[in-house]
Amino acid sequence: MVRRCLAGVGIAAYLSALLFGVIAHATHFHDASHPSMYFVVWDMFCGWSAYESRTHIVGQGVSGKYYELAPGPWADYHPYGDISRQHYDSFNSYPREMALNTLKHTRHEPMSRLLVVEECWAKKYNLPNPIWERRYTEKRQLFSYYRMRTEMTPEGVIVRNSPAWLAYQNNLTISDNPRLLREAQRGTPMFDVRPTRDVSWDSESFRPATLDQNVSLDDPALTPVARGQE
Amino acid sequence: MTKLEQQHMEQLLAAQPSLWHRVRDFFFSEEVPFGVAIVRMLICFACLLVTVPRWIHTRELYSLDGAPAPLAVNYGFYDLLPIPSGAVAVALMTVLTFCCVTACIGWWTRTSLLISAVLYTYLNLLDSMSTITKYSVITSHILVLLSCSHCGAVWSVDAWLKRRRLNLAMPRTMADYPMFAAWPRRLMQILIGVVYFGAAVTKMHTPAYFSGDQLLHWAMTNVNNSNPVGEWMTLFPAMLVVFAYLAIVWEILFLFLSWSGWGRRSMLLMGFAFHSMTTLTLGLYLFPITCISIYFAFTGSDDVVAWSARGRRWKRQARTGWKRRIATLVAVPQAIVRPIGVWLSQVAPRLTPAASGALFALSLMTVTVGAVEIEYRLDPYGERRAGGPHELREIPAETVQRMLAGDMKIREYDKFLAFDVGTEMFGGMVLGRKDHFHHGENIIVQCTLSPPHEDMWVECNLHDASDVLLDRVGQVVVRSQLRGNFLYRACQALESGTYYLVLKTGGQEITRRKITIQPGECAAARCQTAAQ
Repeated sequence: MVRRCLAGVGIAAYLSALLFGVIAHATHFHDASHPSMYFVVWDMFCGWSAYESRTHIVGQGVSGKYYELAPGPWADYHPYGDISRQHYDSFNSYPREMALNTLKHTRHEPMSRLLVVEECWAKKYNLPNPIWERRYTEKRQLFSYYRMRTEMTPEGVIVRNSPAWLAYQNNLTISDNPRLLREAQRGTPMFDVRPTRDVSWDSESFRPATLDQNVSLDDPALTPVARGQE
Repeated sequence: MTKLEQQHMEQLLAAQPSLWHRVRDFFFSEEVPFGVAIVRMLICFACLLVTVPRWIHTRELYSLDGAPAPLAVNYGFYDLLPIPSGAVAVALMTVLTFCCVTACIGWWTRTSLLISAVLYTYLNLLDSMSTITKYSVITSHILVLLSCSHCGAVWSVDAWLKRRRLNLAMPRTMADYPMFAAWPRRLMQILIGVVYFGAAVTKMHTPAYFSGDQLLHWAMTNVNNSNPVGEWMTLFPAMLVVFAYLAIVWEILFLFLSWSGWGRRSMLLMGFAFHSMTTLTLGLYLFPITCISIYFAFTGSDDVVAWSARGRRWKRQARTGWKRRIATLVAVPQAIVRPIGVWLSQVAPRLTPAASGALFALSLMTVTVGAVEIEYRLDPYGERRAGGPHELREIPAETVQRMLAGDMKIREYDKFLAFDVGTEMFGGMVLGRKDHFHHGENIIVQCTLSPPHEDMWVECNLHDASDVLLDRVGQVVVRSQLRGNFLYRACQALESGTYYLVLKTGGQEITRRKITIQPGECAAARCQTAAQ
């Protein structure tokens, strides 16, 4: 009887946790408040983008030469398909760890800086030739866009961080509106000091961006989702 | 209602079990744990598909001697879990792999499952980039539920050892098998239903799912495995809209209909088809294997009895043709396994639980220590090889130049995903692209844009064979729109022959489609009017 009661309590607790996960996900209530929420929120394939994204982690030696820091020069690890692990870091959270790990286990000249460069291209260029020829009359004009995401010291201290290429491009499209740009410029304080400023990305207010001015909002909905096997 | 009828109704209601009794029966009715035993074998096999290929990369993925990527960091919890050293991580991964094998064959099943559940979840949490995903979370749930169940009581080494120890014969009927409460199996069923329901909620949050754009772009991605069928399906985007609606309806209904009868059969069949399609169209492998493994939680004792009877009947009838050949194929593994079983029964000692436990612990330790030593000798980073540590790979100067060239705006051509011409629309997309039209037919032209794009002025102009502009049509496509549609009519004002539909934006030509207008019946009055 005691075992059955314990089982009953366990069942009720488990079902409550599952129910809470569904409600939290449906209402966006604390759905990302703790890592444990990852175990009860079922948000597979929640994002999409029209551009394929890759991450290049590069080290610049004191000689001025550039070196590949991910994947390391040992056996490459492909978690799902045929692309390396660093390309699945959708939020640009761990390039420092990967770069320092490669430097730790290799012979190399002293580094002067470490860079994270994002590469993006339109997904239509992924289509194989037979499909491309049926879908398009023109020849493939593959073109990759690059954007510097992070610059670090050789010790891995971040000295510059920029939003993802997709968010930046999205910001450019919004800025392509003279009236909005004028109003936003009028409403932006000269000194960017806010006592109540939240440092999280999604509360960053809109800032007009131009090609020369890289400070921009980062819309999480447009963050490239490159997770495999979700 | 007469008094007699009222009494009859009350008796009927009294005979109906109350809700509480029904819930109690649902979770605590006793059954032979065949279903969970199948789930145990399959899910542990699925775990091995993850752990074995990753074993050699353990040091790099999960240890302080590598580049771990703890999931908790993404949530702002920087030191939630301790990160092991290289050798400890390898030892843990080996223990996990060993326990997945022993849980699969059912040797010290509960202990193996508990260890697997803890280590699988822990190691997954240390690599949010390339290990933890939703299928691994589902697997963690299932391992925990299996460790609470009696899935090792049947079809396992534990059951075999127990029979040998107690001198019991092979079970012949259902009465010979042990029976336990059904709740772990019920929780697995509910879990998979809730997972699908949650997935449906996600889709409801994603408007682009219903327009087919999300599926279209996932089918074109290469972040998963190869997906040639998905790439081929991008030729028929309207079909993706149909599949999108079917999938979400199935995901919502699964939790409510999958319990018995035709509902269970149809939901599971649709699930099997859905997951097979995710393999073909998106290149997913482990997610489908995990989910389909859990479908066996819908197997009750009665199902196993029915399958066995059907198998025996089929075997008896399999005397000729393809059935006989399949029966021969099935008989081959049986012919190999049976003598081994007989030999083991004669040779293997009758292990007491303590002896079996000691052997389990000894094997675990031997394998773990051996694996740590092997991993050290394999030297994954190549630091102890003859030539010393690896040198960094230099990147060619021209590649670096391209990488560091600075930001640029998206090319106009890249903003366009497709330019389709047809006569019909379905699900907001052109159905059946064509380039030959008869007089009187509609010519629907659709340009599909890739987000992000600014508010755009898009023209779709009609040119004749010598490239003279005949008709100029333009429209604003605002940044929230992904499609611009243009309607032309192949009226008799246009002579039979070759024409071009030219897509322009920002003052430049993006692409063009050649179309041919052929003579035909022109029924539409508007068409004739235009011709006059």
